[in-house]
Amino acid sequence: MFKVAHLSCGYTDVPVVKDVSFQVEKGQRLCILGPNGCGKTTLLRGLAGILPTAGSVKVQGVDIKELSARQKSRRIALMSQLSTTYFTYTVYETVMLGRYAHQKRSVFLGETEKDHRIVQENLERVGMLEYKDRLITELSGGQLQRVFLARVFVQEPQVILLDEPTNHLDLKYQLELIEMLKEWVGEGERCVVGVLHDINLALSFADDILLMEDGAVVACENVKDFDLSLLDSIYHMDVQQFMQDSLQRWKN
Amino acid sequence: MENKTMLKILLLVTAAGASILLGIGVGSVFIPPADILAILGNSLLGKGKAIDPIYATLIMDMRLPRVLLAFLVGAALSASGTVMQSVLKNPLASPFGMGISAGAGLGAAVVIVSGTTAGMMGVFLLPTVSFVSGLLTVILVMGVAARIDRGLSNTTIVLIGMVISLFFSAIMNLLATLSPTYAQRINLWQLGSFSMKEWSSIWVLLPVTILCLICFQCAARELDIMTFGEEQAQSMGVNLKRSKWLLMLCVAVLTGTAVAFAGIIGFVDLIVPHVVRRFFGSSHRRVIPASALFGGTFMVLCDLAARTIASPREIPIGSVTALIGVPFFIYIYFGKRK
Repeated sequence: MFKVAHLSCGYTDVPVVKDVSFQVEKGQRLCILGPNGCGKTTLLRGLAGILPTAGSVKVQGVDIKELSARQKSRRIALMSQLSTTYFTYTVYETVMLGRYAHQKRSVFLGETEKDHRIVQENLERVGMLEYKDRLITELSGGQLQRVFLARVFVQEPQVILLDEPTNHLDLKYQLELIEMLKEWVGEGERCVVGVLHDINLALSFADDILLMEDGAVVACENVKDFDLSLLDSIYHMDVQQFMQDSLQRWKN
Repeated sequence: MENKTMLKILLLVTAAGASILLGIGVGSVFIPPADILAILGNSLLGKGKAIDPIYATLIMDMRLPRVLLAFLVGAALSASGTVMQSVLKNPLASPFGMGISAGAGLGAAVVIVSGTTAGMMGVFLLPTVSFVSGLLTVILVMGVAARIDRGLSNTTIVLIGMVISLFFSAIMNLLATLSPTYAQRINLWQLGSFSMKEWSSIWVLLPVTILCLICFQCAARELDIMTFGEEQAQSMGVNLKRSKWLLMLCVAVLTGTAVAFAGIIGFVDLIVPHVVRRFFGSSHRRVIPASALFGGTFMVLCDLAARTIASPREIPIGSVTALIGVPFFIYIYFGKRK
């Protein structure tokens, strides 16, 4: 349902991401792995339509280049890594902003019953309903990221792009976020494409792994068939040995 | 809107009305509020009891236009500041810092130094030139920023704005130094003033302010979203480049017009949005009308202080806004934070 063909993009005339192609089926989760600076975030920006791109990004057969900003947002949403803000919105207001792409443009803000219902439902889903009148500047990192997740959910996209959303989160919150996303993706015409820095987290979350180096795809396979030894050459270290040593520490 | 917000807005409207009455009433001659209302009713509606015609002239020709101008300039600068901070996602941004004020001021300084006294445009020459040069400054800042950084990122815009603002101020000072004859007029312009204003300035500033405020209010949701950063705004469906340009142009028009009639008045555009957010939260559908009302009220009171504290001398309004504003800001901002 999400098909990317020969995508290249970057910030200058020299592309950072080169000729990337892959597809993700309904209900599937794809994780992008690769060392720092290999173009993961740039790829996500290209997929989200934030950077100008060559090639095509199609959601259910529709090229996002042919869509307006609002139409695009009703199909693809991007969740970035946790960032704090200076501006004091309440939790409810923050999540309601996610409905922007669905609302009519008008001087009198067109928040419908439906908008309110969807916001309530998703606040409940991420367990933040009781905090709805709190200011987001007063929340912990884990709570704030759940609020942002709810905002992505109310946008009702078909594809969620994740840009290291678990950064700065404790292990418990990381797993919580991953679980919520797993649940969401299983509920219809949906899929997730994410960058997760933690290799273990990525392997446990993903159905498919896309391995990148220098802006190009090295491998794109189902996680069960994924050759872990590929990681060694990409990260320039013995990843498997490191993981086994870590595991040994827990076993002792 | 919730009842609590409505109540707060109502309080602000009352405060605005009271400040305007106070501004009209207090001066070399004190005029009681009842008389002011009677005179206003008489002049505007043709009803009510007749009051001393000297009072009527004093109010209608001197104090009312001055107070209204102060209110409008305060409202315009504060609303502009609010929008600028949100568009650039930077609590330190302001039209003043973006170089709009400096650009408008430089335009005015050039007119003053060249000694041009255009017959046809008359009193409007200075305002028109300063408004146009304020607008050109924004286009220059955005244009340079766009060349350096194709994505028009906020940090680039703020930085270029600051640099150009300082550069224009330096040229203005240079002009003042090189032409001692006009130095005083240029300096006065740099400090801002509401004295010697006529109704004509109100008739220009009033529609511009109302129009721009409506534009800002229409863009309230986009502004809310922009405060979460550019990447988020784009992924949530905001046409970022277009919105940014349009809002910046509106800010330039509004600030440029205000500076054109009152000179450069700093501080209000930076501080009022912060104070208002303390009481109203950050949602722009509340913050924009509230900062316009609060900014207007604040400016009327500052102007009142400017012309009464050292009467018959007048303290430059730019100094008063800072003198009153800084302690007030510290009290509100840090007092409430505890």
